[in-house]
Amino acid sequence: MRFFGKTTIDFMGKRKMWYTISAAVILAGIVSLSIKGFHFGIDFKGGTEMIIQFRQPTDVGKIRAMMDQAGFPRSEIKAYGGPNTILLRTEMQGEGTSVGDKIRSSLQQTFPEDAPKILQEQKIGPKVGAELRRNAFLAVISSLVAMGLYVAFRFKFIYGVGAIVALFHDVMVALGAVSILDGITQYTNFEIDQNMIAAFLTIIGLSMNDTVVIFDRIRENQKVYRSMGLMELINKSLNETLSRTIITSGTVFVITTILFFLGGEVNRGFAFALTIGILTGTYSSIYIASAIVLDYTNYKERKKQRPIVPEKISYEAVNQGS
Amino acid sequence: MKKNRGRVIFIVISVLLSLYFLYPTFKDYRFSQQLRNLRGEDSAKFVEAHDKEIRDARQNRIKLGLDLQGGMRVVLEVNVFKLLEDLAKNKDDAFKSILDEVRAAAQNSDLDLIDLLRQKFAEKQVRLSRYYGSFRDSDDDVVKRLRDESSSAIDRAMEIVRNRVDQYGVSEPSIQKQGARRIIVELPGVSKDAEVRQLLQGTALLEFKLLIDPEIALKVYESVDKALGGKPMNDTTKSDTSGTDTSATVAAADTAKSVDTSLVPLPEEQMKAQEKEKKDHPFFALANPFQQENQAWNGQLYSSEEDRAKVMQILSRPDIRRLLPSDMAFVWSAKPAFTAEGRKFYSLYAVKKQAELTGGVIVNARATIDPQYNTPVVNMEMNSEGARDWARITGANIKKRVAIIMDNAVFSAPVVQTKITGGNSQITGMESVEEAKLLEIVLKAGALPAPVEIVQQATVGPSLGEDSIRQGVWSAGLALGLTMAFMIFYYGTGGLMADIALLLNVIFVLGVLAGFKGTLTLPGIAGVILTVAIAVDANVLIFERIREEAVTGKTLMAAIDAGYTRAFKGAIFDANLTAFITGVILYQFGTGPVQGFALTLMIGIVASVFSAVVVSRVIIEILIERGKHVSFG
Repeated sequence: MRFFGKTTIDFMGKRKMWYTISAAVILAGIVSLSIKGFHFGIDFKGGTEMIIQFRQPTDVGKIRAMMDQAGFPRSEIKAYGGPNTILLRTEMQGEGTSVGDKIRSSLQQTFPEDAPKILQEQKIGPKVGAELRRNAFLAVISSLVAMGLYVAFRFKFIYGVGAIVALFHDVMVALGAVSILDGITQYTNFEIDQNMIAAFLTIIGLSMNDTVVIFDRIRENQKVYRSMGLMELINKSLNETLSRTIITSGTVFVITTILFFLGGEVNRGFAFALTIGILTGTYSSIYIASAIVLDYTNYKERKKQRPIVPEKISYEAVNQGS
Repeated sequence: MKKNRGRVIFIVISVLLSLYFLYPTFKDYRFSQQLRNLRGEDSAKFVEAHDKEIRDARQNRIKLGLDLQGGMRVVLEVNVFKLLEDLAKNKDDAFKSILDEVRAAAQNSDLDLIDLLRQKFAEKQVRLSRYYGSFRDSDDDVVKRLRDESSSAIDRAMEIVRNRVDQYGVSEPSIQKQGARRIIVELPGVSKDAEVRQLLQGTALLEFKLLIDPEIALKVYESVDKALGGKPMNDTTKSDTSGTDTSATVAAADTAKSVDTSLVPLPEEQMKAQEKEKKDHPFFALANPFQQENQAWNGQLYSSEEDRAKVMQILSRPDIRRLLPSDMAFVWSAKPAFTAEGRKFYSLYAVKKQAELTGGVIVNARATIDPQYNTPVVNMEMNSEGARDWARITGANIKKRVAIIMDNAVFSAPVVQTKITGGNSQITGMESVEEAKLLEIVLKAGALPAPVEIVQQATVGPSLGEDSIRQGVWSAGLALGLTMAFMIFYYGTGGLMADIALLLNVIFVLGVLAGFKGTLTLPGIAGVILTVAIAVDANVLIFERIREEAVTGKTLMAAIDAGYTRAFKGAIFDANLTAFITGVILYQFGTGPVQGFALTLMIGIVASVFSAVVVSRVIIEILIERGKHVSFG
């Protein structure tokens, strides 16, 4: 069984168009982020969060009134999973777990006959939230740098640059997609929490995996076809690895989609980011990482072939001796 | 075959090892299923019959994170500000105003509190020694002292927390130090969070209580035993020996019990003797007056971990309470004694209800090595008020024992050798430096503050955890099934081999996780699923390569050889190493559940490379050598 015979797709020919599309997608994400802001999870924001299960469907307005009265205005209140389960969140900080205790007692007062059950409670102190945020940021940046260095060391410098830009592209696209779709349907309530950061790092890992496979093929082909132009060589390598790329990415795509629909509420944001990530990771290995290597090498070539004689003699005269 | 023999042996050993590590998890699952079908008395009987097995399985199974089994996770931080406030002497308004300034400055400064305090004091031209330490101390001395206090506060807080958690009776609690100022407490299965939070905060209560004389205690215990239906003892000397005879030593009693719980049926006489003991002395069967050879009874009763609750229940029954002297109280030891088999035994002390002294009088305690005998000792220093009382107490109770009790648990019960005047006491006879160190921490905990505050807390209800497990396992199963079906469909026989490798891969990952006592979290399950993807990718890389090599006209065997070698040397190695690096970074920066993900990812990467590059290859090569047809689609 095989889906693909020998293909001869001219991937690199259309790279300028894809640069534009990538830029547009990232821009859309940035616009969304700047309008909606970062929707941080409780672990990054700090505060108290509770998941409460009621026996009967409960009016969100009533809960909101209760929270206002308890001294926690502007709390976030939303359905979680089913209609009887509510997620409550306030950024207000109190000493120890006083906020949670207060919510608990007002719940008992407001819904005495329902006796709601607390499924989960989380409190993150203000310092801890800031610390986790910083750690997450450091984790993403240091893994980008580590990947880039590794590739630059194993291949050539420009390959490292291409890889870093591609990875950065993937993270930005995933971040943008998460921001754009967040809150649009009831299944897409995404927030940037530790799980999401784990997803971003996994995207980095998977995308890197893909890029390395392609770079490796380019390197191998360079030894065999010494006289071939780089563009032709990259296209050849991309076509040779295409079958593998599609099958692997397809499998991961199916797996993350299953995780998205069946993995439960907790894993949903994580699975969504991964699904986007595997798509953009596959794409970026071709149209960002490989394309940058090509364009940079072309640029160097052109520089070399440029006539030594300067175009503007007067300039040359001024700068002489420096 | 010859060339593969070593590899086959290695694979078989790895698989067997993984299964060996996974077996307790499987057994634990079986037990919990059996228990679910039993009701009330039956389940109690079942637990008793399989006691040791159940506990062993529980201890060695794959640990589930709190997000999966429900429970509480609390991060405590030593409150340095409160500590500075508590440590100061002669606090006046000037001090309070400086402290307020420090508090305000701390909001937007990166300097630590002690540096800020010093800075503010310098601004006001007040010497730190006015409030801390003694008059002649320079600011440097005081700062150094305060720093020591702040770092030792965490040890005290940790010991206090551990002691309380132990007494609360949570199974498999985890208490770890994070960094210099934080303690992470994980309590699986606990959902009464208000109660636990109370438990974790608040200052420790340290008390010195006099032990009740062994002879008196024994009389009381005997009357309890009798009241429970035990046979009367003929005379005290005999009862004393009977206490030792029936159980000889803790170790002996323990052997009998452990044989009882193992699968081997107990020799009949032994069983009868044990049954008889239970019937004749229902109380001493639970709480054993174990006596060391050639020594008088020390007045302590020994109970196994599980029997503690039963003993306390008996002692608090109204009809039993009437038999007890009104000034008598019972306190368990804080730390268990271990038998040769690793079973825990706690000892029960009978003490005077009224404390002789409380820990507030202790000024300092220090564990050192006595240079003369080269043994660990603890020097304890009391203030003048305490020293006066201590002289009276020790003077009146020479050769008696005074228990050191923190939060209602006995840490030590030294014998008073002489009347101690002047407030400086030395506690000797500890077995190890650790024991002395622990005593130092405990003695200080009563006097010095170790204020902690909850900076992070999460409680997961058990039902949410169950849902998560079901969804996680279900989606993992489906992902695995679909992937395997596709591999066979696309790569034929080769795909089937890859599938075998894939299944082994999952077994390896879980086996390693169980073997290294790692924790499986919800993101961890996602990590296992991703591992499947990584393993598939390695196989796809190899098979695609084999197809390419076959096109160039190589024989099947040569194509396979080239495919495996080239795929590994080129893509697989680099790709997986980079993925592994992200795993390491994730593990470094993440906490809790995310670390679980990173851990399974790292294990998974190693396992998947092994299963794809070695396992599937060996299977394929063996098949070809045996003349079987292997296709790659």
